[in-house]
Amino acid sequence: MPDKACVDDLTKEFLAESMEGLDRMERCLTELELRPADSELLGEIFRAVHTIKGTTGFLGFGRLEKLAHAGENLLGALRDGTLEVTGELISGLLLLMDGLRKILLLIESTGGEGSRANDDDGSLIALLDDLSRQRRLHEEPRSELVVREASVAGAQAAPVDSGYVTERGANDKTLRIDVEVLNRMMNLVGELVLTRNQMLQSTMSAASFPELARRLDSVTADLRETVMQARMQPVGNLFNKFPRMVRDLARTCGKQVRLEFSGQETGLDKSLLEAIKDPLTHAVRNSVDHGIESPGDRLKSDKQPEGCVRLKAFHQSGSVVIEVSDDGAGISMERVLAKAVDRELVTAEQAAAMTEREALQLIFLPGFSTAAAVTHVSGRGVGMDVVRSNVEKVGGSVEMESRVGAGTTLRLRVPLTLAIVPALVVRSGGQSFALPQSALMELVYVPEREVADAIEQVGQAEVYRLRERLLPIVRLDELLEVPSTDRVGAHGIYVAVVEAEGRRYGLVVDDLLAPEEIVVKPLSGVLREIGLFSGATVLGNGLLALILDVAAVAERAGVRVAEPGISDGVEKSNAEEVEATRSFLVYEDCGRERKAMPLEQVERIESVPLDEVEYAAGRAMLQYRGETLVLRDAGGVLHDMEAGGTPAAEDAALVTVLICGVGALEGAVARVGVVVRKVLDVSSGVVLDEVSAREGTTLALVKERLTTVCGEMSEVAEQKLQEVA
Amino acid sequence: MAGLAMDKGENSGVMVSLCSLLTGGRVFGIDTRLICEVLGEHAVQRVPQAPPFIAGVIPNRGEVLTTVNFRAVLGMEAQSGTSSVLVLEDEESRERFGLMVDAVSSVVIVSAAMLEQNPSTLEPRCKTLFDGAYKMATGLIVSLDPQKLRPVRLAEMGLFSSKGRGESV
Repeated sequence: MPDKACVDDLTKEFLAESMEGLDRMERCLTELELRPADSELLGEIFRAVHTIKGTTGFLGFGRLEKLAHAGENLLGALRDGTLEVTGELISGLLLLMDGLRKILLLIESTGGEGSRANDDDGSLIALLDDLSRQRRLHEEPRSELVVREASVAGAQAAPVDSGYVTERGANDKTLRIDVEVLNRMMNLVGELVLTRNQMLQSTMSAASFPELARRLDSVTADLRETVMQARMQPVGNLFNKFPRMVRDLARTCGKQVRLEFSGQETGLDKSLLEAIKDPLTHAVRNSVDHGIESPGDRLKSDKQPEGCVRLKAFHQSGSVVIEVSDDGAGISMERVLAKAVDRELVTAEQAAAMTEREALQLIFLPGFSTAAAVTHVSGRGVGMDVVRSNVEKVGGSVEMESRVGAGTTLRLRVPLTLAIVPALVVRSGGQSFALPQSALMELVYVPEREVADAIEQVGQAEVYRLRERLLPIVRLDELLEVPSTDRVGAHGIYVAVVEAEGRRYGLVVDDLLAPEEIVVKPLSGVLREIGLFSGATVLGNGLLALILDVAAVAERAGVRVAEPGISDGVEKSNAEEVEATRSFLVYEDCGRERKAMPLEQVERIESVPLDEVEYAAGRAMLQYRGETLVLRDAGGVLHDMEAGGTPAAEDAALVTVLICGVGALEGAVARVGVVVRKVLDVSSGVVLDEVSAREGTTLALVKERLTTVCGEMSEVAEQKLQEVA
Repeated sequence: MAGLAMDKGENSGVMVSLCSLLTGGRVFGIDTRLICEVLGEHAVQRVPQAPPFIAGVIPNRGEVLTTVNFRAVLGMEAQSGTSSVLVLEDEESRERFGLMVDAVSSVVIVSAAMLEQNPSTLEPRCKTLFDGAYKMATGLIVSLDPQKLRPVRLAEMGLFSSKGRGESV
């Protein structure tokens, strides 16, 4: 902290600006290599260096100025067209950028730019001068350039390793916010104060109280959303680090790699962005190092010599998915299994019985690495298990798909924000605890008379048979040593099946309370040391609840990493089936026809009183959470209910509506409501492509029964949006 | 009243306003400037597996505060009656935490000159907690410093280590 004092506001601003300039420069440089003729890119790079040079002179940072000046000369020559963009030139410029960044970080941490012997930029400046002199050396023998290239490559190895770690400078502590957003926030805070004033003046019994409470509710909701929005950063900020890394990596590994992005504009909470930075970096490294083959190998297997790594970000059912896929060699099952047996992670018999999907899960076990050769880039024991535990720490999950010869896809799924987490509130020993929904797999209720039979014992350990698999049981009250309030009393027990870091177990609690969106509050150091709670939260009733750290509870209770691939199904599906399998919500809307909706489209299932359904312009509508939803009623359920409802039964009539999100339009998810008669089940099924093509409708085989798939409702959403406009 | 106190103060140096607390029949005092809030009787949420000197956690101004059980710190038995909670702030670390005592009685103005060092015979545990005592006409008020009652410090000193935690870790 004290060293902050020696950096004044002006310098601070200069640092933040220069860092941003360098980030832009980094992006442009890698692009410049692909499109050497682009003068706009060159202009951008020139400006970044020029601005630094101009301001440093003014602030009196001589060392920085000298280096920036050398760079500016080189860039000037490049801009005038007297130099050509070559690989070594780009490398030189990247070194310049690293040099500038290093000095900037030094200024930030110490206030000075350093003048010790090892802070000498002489060699770098000489290199840059050499490069700018090359226009005159053009006709000279090629050998000299080769020598220089080698020295560049040598000097480059260090920044590859250290550069990314130390890059946490001014950018992490400051955040750029649109003034518009800030104004909106201020407005809402003003509104909040006004509402508070009115509430203080009125009493609980006042007629206006419910109205005030409602207003408070809407203001807080708006404020929350605005603050979230302000914290959202485009994923592209993170992606921008990768072109440089991939370029350097590809050079060291002797590979040709192209990097493609999509969905850079997808927003993610700043703290989450930080949290997934390392896992994502690791994943990209893996792709380049292990995934993509060498150009020679690629040609042998009829591929372009240049490999491709794709980074893709998109929203899916309330979370952000980031995919890293490559078109490399894929993961060889035999090698994975052989390695797993070799490392004694599984027995040979287990390995033989595994499906492809189960085998892929092995990669996430600690102490697993398939790298045939340990390179200095990856394969040093920091494996996919760390990636998974880092992502799970922020409430996310990791999936992997791979096809031999065709490539590997790693999917990181993270929640939109950290501060507010959906959780289930449970009671144990007379106390409330919050269980994050992300760890919760399912809930099982065991009636009292069955408790004795259902919970069986192996030695001292209690287990529960969940679909013919033994699930270790952890009794929360015993683990926490909280006095239990006659646990097996009037009712049975609840088993919350939870999973974290590959450990799956059944947590026995006394009671389940409502699911709530909780605001996570950190605990003080002393309580964090207990290691079982990740925070605390204030519940709707004003009481505090501790948030259970599911992984830590497993650790404390001694639950080991489950043997891989505990898939839900009793019967093992074969590999081809896994590929086409999707999860569906199965329902009935008319007659006995079973219909299915892809699960990722369903946001919620709501029961709505019939009289809340309104009709306008010949359509059924529903006001839902401040939105107007168009109701789709293919089976005529509403009509039947309106017709059949007798006055006496009317207040009891509830319509089941599936709230479905359809695509994203201008950032907002369009929703429609689908009226159904009865929700049957959630199940995985296979889409029957051949039948679909013939019939014009999509059919799927769900639980061995033919089911019509109602997906792709985008045209409904479009219609709706047109109406609104 | 204030004028009277000031007059007295001129004779005997700096005046300190103390909030007097009762715990286990003894009187303690904390400088009122170091007290953020007196919550009075307040429900404290227990934290399983926490060291015994932690009473639990309380919600306060958007934060969850760790609350120290002063009786447990002094090595007394838990009492059956009511208890009061104060919110204290450590000046250095700006860390806020709760302190659970039997009762909060009143604010008294005392002269700094009335403070006397801890007696040399005081047991070590209390030496680390107490800051001397004010010699009042009505009896002694033991001076407390929030800085010395911070949960982190209590945990570091290890004098109050828990019984149940060690074996399970």
